[in-house]
Amino acid sequence: MKLLIANRGEIALRIIRTCRKLGVRTVQAYSDPDRDSLPLRYADERYALGGATPAESYLNIEKLVRAALHTNCDAVHPGYGFLAEEGSFVKACEENNLNFIGPSSTALEKLGNKLSARRTMREAGVPVIPASEGPVKDEDEAATVAEKIGYPVILKAVYGGGGRGMRIAKASDEARRFFRVTKLESLSAFGRGEVYIEKRLVNPRHVEIQTVCDKHGKVVSLGERECSIQRRHQKLLEEAPSVAVNESLRHQLDDAAKKGLSAAGYTNAGTVEFLIDKSGKFYFLEVNKRLQVEHLVTEMTTGIDLVEEQLKIATTSTLGLSQDEVHINGWAINCRINAEDSRSFAPSPGTVIHYHPPSGPGVRCDSALFSGYTIPEYYDSMVAKLATWGRDRAEAIQRMKVALDEVEIVGVPTTIPLHRLLMRDEGFIQGNFNTTYLNTILPQMNSNLLRLERYAVAAAATSRLRNPTPTTAHRMSETSRWRMSARTQQMTAKPGW
Amino acid sequence: MRTYRIQLNERAYTASVEQTGEDVFKVTIDGEVFESESLRRDSISTWLVRSTNDEIRAQTRVLPADKVDVWLAGTPFQASVQVVGTGGYAIPTPGIGEQRISGDIRAPMPGRITSILIREGESVDLGTPLLILEAMKMQNELTSPTAGHVKSIHVQEGATVKKDSLLIVVE
Repeated sequence: MKLLIANRGEIALRIIRTCRKLGVRTVQAYSDPDRDSLPLRYADERYALGGATPAESYLNIEKLVRAALHTNCDAVHPGYGFLAEEGSFVKACEENNLNFIGPSSTALEKLGNKLSARRTMREAGVPVIPASEGPVKDEDEAATVAEKIGYPVILKAVYGGGGRGMRIAKASDEARRFFRVTKLESLSAFGRGEVYIEKRLVNPRHVEIQTVCDKHGKVVSLGERECSIQRRHQKLLEEAPSVAVNESLRHQLDDAAKKGLSAAGYTNAGTVEFLIDKSGKFYFLEVNKRLQVEHLVTEMTTGIDLVEEQLKIATTSTLGLSQDEVHINGWAINCRINAEDSRSFAPSPGTVIHYHPPSGPGVRCDSALFSGYTIPEYYDSMVAKLATWGRDRAEAIQRMKVALDEVEIVGVPTTIPLHRLLMRDEGFIQGNFNTTYLNTILPQMNSNLLRLERYAVAAAATSRLRNPTPTTAHRMSETSRWRMSARTQQMTAKPGW
Repeated sequence: MRTYRIQLNERAYTASVEQTGEDVFKVTIDGEVFESESLRRDSISTWLVRSTNDEIRAQTRVLPADKVDVWLAGTPFQASVQVVGTGGYAIPTPGIGEQRISGDIRAPMPGRITSILIREGESVDLGTPLLILEAMKMQNELTSPTAGHVKSIHVQEGATVKKDSLLIVVE
């Protein structure tokens, strides 16, 4: 097998690592801004796509297929995001005899968008959340449908994913306004503007089941992940297993996930997401038809290399794994480190002038960062996934505290302060949280920042005493970023959770 | 002992620094005592800063014009550090009444204007959404920092803007 990697950053590097372990040759496709990126150094070959924007590079089906054929690849790994769940890309691969590492185009169609996935699941007997029958056509219909379902509602891009293209509306003026915003966002991010409306559950938990499915209908569950710590519908912290899931619920969730995926004829690695309400009732949310960002916590608790399983299923059609062989061991937590202001969540591309990843027993840091790396403005703001494993949840948290203290990412603001706060938060430590929990933590960020400020003052004063004049000249452009970050803090953090 | 006047995030602090060991300094900030220990001496230095209830590692970089960049706990700060009594001048602390909120809306990050939500001359409240700036695949709604009316719009929908470009003026 020779594999084209149609993605970038940490996930490209993650895939390359397994390929190198297995002796699979890799070709890294790359855009202009990614020419100096880390995955290029470890792939066997590199292929320039040209262009900087996703549309010109990682979303360009024609270029990617050409890249694979030109370099004699027989398989394509899409990673997550970009074209990972794009039916037309899967079709293009199939037509060119390229083995797409993911589900078949037929299975994708059944789960292709949020509405068809709901239909497939409902028919398989999996509980779904009340929603509009189909896409809503305009602002007026959005307001009428939302009224009928009952506020709060959530407007969702039918073709959306990765937490983008979603807004919560609490009244009709919001339903109208957010219909417009969601449609625009969806058009720009996914090329399709359809929006539907779903009932917003009150403070649910987000729990998902990771599965691997072979081409003979065998579905194996690798257990659940808890992903309730989110902002703007994007996960910020994930863990496996979940404190909210007991043996009986785990069995029901596994069963629902398997039924739904079997009905869709799904193959490869897939995740079924559920919302769980206060009474413990669960509802199907969506299927993630790809390797997920947070797959690493499952790898840490099961010892299974998910990319290896993906490649095995794609090449031999058969899982080398049975349900009896899956054992959940201990607890793992993943903190997403994004180049963002941790209060306003405004993205902050820029140069990382110094990087030191943490390490030690039970610590895993998946990242494509290096000292001197410039985070491009064109792509996602996630720059590292810092995960820790412990024999139990308390140990995983303790290790995460230490790791967060150790990691050094100098040059851009990151979500690290938020994670530091969470690791010390009583509600989080008790496991007592839901998808709106982060909202209650955010006000603490301001007082926390005031506290941090005094430490910064102490460091600045001693630094100035030790080094009264700078030894080397620095370009002013390097400092302008800090003025920008000060300004983004003034920018209103939208309550679009 | 040296005393510094330090301005950071629009707040002013007075810090007196006393060397207590080869790499250890006692820093008193407005009455609160910290210990700052040098862990790495380079163009980017590392410090271990302790108070009575916590310790944090910080990276610093000294820049020209009395500026010091500090990064700690994933948060960037830029401090302006003046020596008190040796030619430095005191920085006035802005009181609440003195803080003027500018009605210039500038791009906080590079990106693309996907939608302009208001028209010239329209009156807006504090928090009224003005436009949507797409950056790093996120739609960022920029809102009015003040109440007033839209004096001018300097961009068009679909335009790509650099950070700090003037987008809208509210008066």
